[in-house]
Amino acid sequence: MCDDERMPIRVLIVDDHPDFRAVARELLEAAGYVVSGEAAGVQEAIAAVGAQSPDVVLLDVGLPDGSGFDVASQLSRDPSGPVVVLVSSRAAEDYGRRIARCGARGFLSKSRLSAATLASVLG
Amino acid sequence: MISRAASVSPPSAPLLRDPILVLPLAVAAGLALGWGGLHNGVSGGEVAVDLALCWCLVGASLVALGWARWRHARLLLALAAMLVLAGDLQWLNAAGPWTVGLVLGLAWVAVMIQLVLTYPDGRPWSRPAQVTVVGGYLAAPIGGLAAALVTVDSRNALSILPSQSATDTIGRVRAALGCAVLVSALLLVLWRLLSLRGAARRAQAPLLVSVVLALPLTAAWLAQEALTGHDPSTRVATVARALMALIPLGFVAAIGWSRLRRTQASDLVVDLRSAGAQTLRDRLARALGDPTLELAYRLADGRYVDESGEPAVVPDVQGRAVTLLSSSDEVLAALVHDPALLDEPALVESVRATAGLVLENERLAAEGRAQLAQVRASRARLVAATDEERRRIERDLHDGAQQRLVAVCVAIGLAAGRADPGLAEVLRSAQDELEEAIGDLRALARGIHPTLLREDGLDAALEAIARRAPVPVTIQGAVDARLAPEVELAAYFFATEALTNTVKHAAASRATVHVQHSHDRLRVTVSDDGVGGATLSPSGGLAGLRDRIEALDGTMAIRSDPAGGTIVVAELPCGS
Repeated sequence: MCDDERMPIRVLIVDDHPDFRAVARELLEAAGYVVSGEAAGVQEAIAAVGAQSPDVVLLDVGLPDGSGFDVASQLSRDPSGPVVVLVSSRAAEDYGRRIARCGARGFLSKSRLSAATLASVLG
Repeated sequence: MISRAASVSPPSAPLLRDPILVLPLAVAAGLALGWGGLHNGVSGGEVAVDLALCWCLVGASLVALGWARWRHARLLLALAAMLVLAGDLQWLNAAGPWTVGLVLGLAWVAVMIQLVLTYPDGRPWSRPAQVTVVGGYLAAPIGGLAAALVTVDSRNALSILPSQSATDTIGRVRAALGCAVLVSALLLVLWRLLSLRGAARRAQAPLLVSVVLALPLTAAWLAQEALTGHDPSTRVATVARALMALIPLGFVAAIGWSRLRRTQASDLVVDLRSAGAQTLRDRLARALGDPTLELAYRLADGRYVDESGEPAVVPDVQGRAVTLLSSSDEVLAALVHDPALLDEPALVESVRATAGLVLENERLAAEGRAQLAQVRASRARLVAATDEERRRIERDLHDGAQQRLVAVCVAIGLAAGRADPGLAEVLRSAQDELEEAIGDLRALARGIHPTLLREDGLDAALEAIARRAPVPVTIQGAVDARLAPEVELAAYFFATEALTNTVKHAAASRATVHVQHSHDRLRVTVSDDGVGGATLSPSGGLAGLRDRIEALDGTMAIRSDPAGGTIVVAELPCGS
């Protein structure tokens, strides 16, 4: 849900499942977001953030080479860094207080991902 | 019944094999010599002391008769007795005996020094001890021979180079050497007395102490002779010789002490049968006076275990001695002990003969405990394997079916956004159903192996249970640490199952989970205010959990008042 008169919001999708990345890209682009790129792991995500300076990182919690919480903590240390929204196929209660502690803006269950739920997290 | 190393004695002359033959010889020779001495003006006191010394030595030799291991000492004692008498041949005026007496005069002292410095195993204690023994023989029989060659005396049959000044010089040199030998022996004995400990000290102390008492006066007497060239008074010499009789008496005391300890060992039979609180190991350790003693039972498969059934190692190292206890051909157990106990073979022998009576039972008990420990270990391994399998299934669910369903769910949402209103409604309804299914799958995965517990520990996982529970649940206390995964998982499943029962059966209005964690115990108590009357059904979820908890050496108990309220407690060792 982007306002046409403003700059579109640029989103980096970080997930190790290509199917999910593809469907998320389509869903976000349909809603007017610009997908700046995709990453499949922690290292790729950090590199992509440096290269693309996205506004939002849609970050999967379970990545093959590390935890999305660690990436979120690292990114949130930079005040000018992107807004991090964690996603997972597990529920928020499976992660307890770690979601609040890692500096992410919010958490979305993957099955609930839509332009509307993302917009509500971004505020 | 009990195996032992055979001790083989070399064949020897009857006199050496059996010093009892020395006894009539010593008595007869002593009496004859005493009569001759008294006739030639030797004082009665001097005669009495020498005869007493001689017969003490013979007596000690006889006391040692029953023990093969003291054959060496017993021969030296008999030899010393004979040499005392040989020295006293000087009491006779005939040239031949007088000369023999002159040559062998103090040889008995050299023999006694050898006896002491090679006690108990017949080998010199150390290189300095060996030198001291040799020094003794140089001073006494060899020095005596040198003196005989120069001594000016009409009775001296060996007087080849008679010279008074040479006699004086050799006398002083012999006295100085003799004094040095005695002082050296005294220091070696003192050092040994201080450095020995345990059984060896007990076994040798009587002899060593007697040496410490006996030697100083003789050493002082020789020192004076070396310095002045004159013999001290006959009275001092007589007292010094009388004191030397302490050495054979000390030897007898050492043997007697060992016999006394053997009596204590036979008391062990009664003691061993009235088992009491002490273990067989403790009782054996006390009977043998070796607190470091270890007892290892040998199982049928050749492994050794301790009394609790834990694997034991029978060391093959210096500083520890191993005595095997066996019944017919089968080794039952091994005693690992201080090698000093080998100095008390009689004691060790009687203890092991006595212990054999109860050893078989104790070994069977240890074998039972070892099997129990094996079963316990295999049960713990089964639980660990189950946990690992649960973890794998949870991960497979998450990485497989759950991911695919989620992707489908999002895709349906996407399609709904593009479809016409009628189709969109159908698609959104399908998406809701699918979300429900995914939620069920998550709950199933969580029940199989909770991610939150694995990642964040018991406190976070218990809070999540409380949040999900349909009745208000209060969590009291906290672990505040990560515990072993199997302990966390058992405690988590326990709390989950107990709360599930509360919700299903207790009609409770609220429940409490109380967590207490000390350094090595975790106690989880789940209580509710429901209808009570709960029991542990053998096929119920809690009974299955009790197996899991007991596999970790924990306990579980339930207290349910028919009037209302149920308390379930699990206690787990957590070793942190």
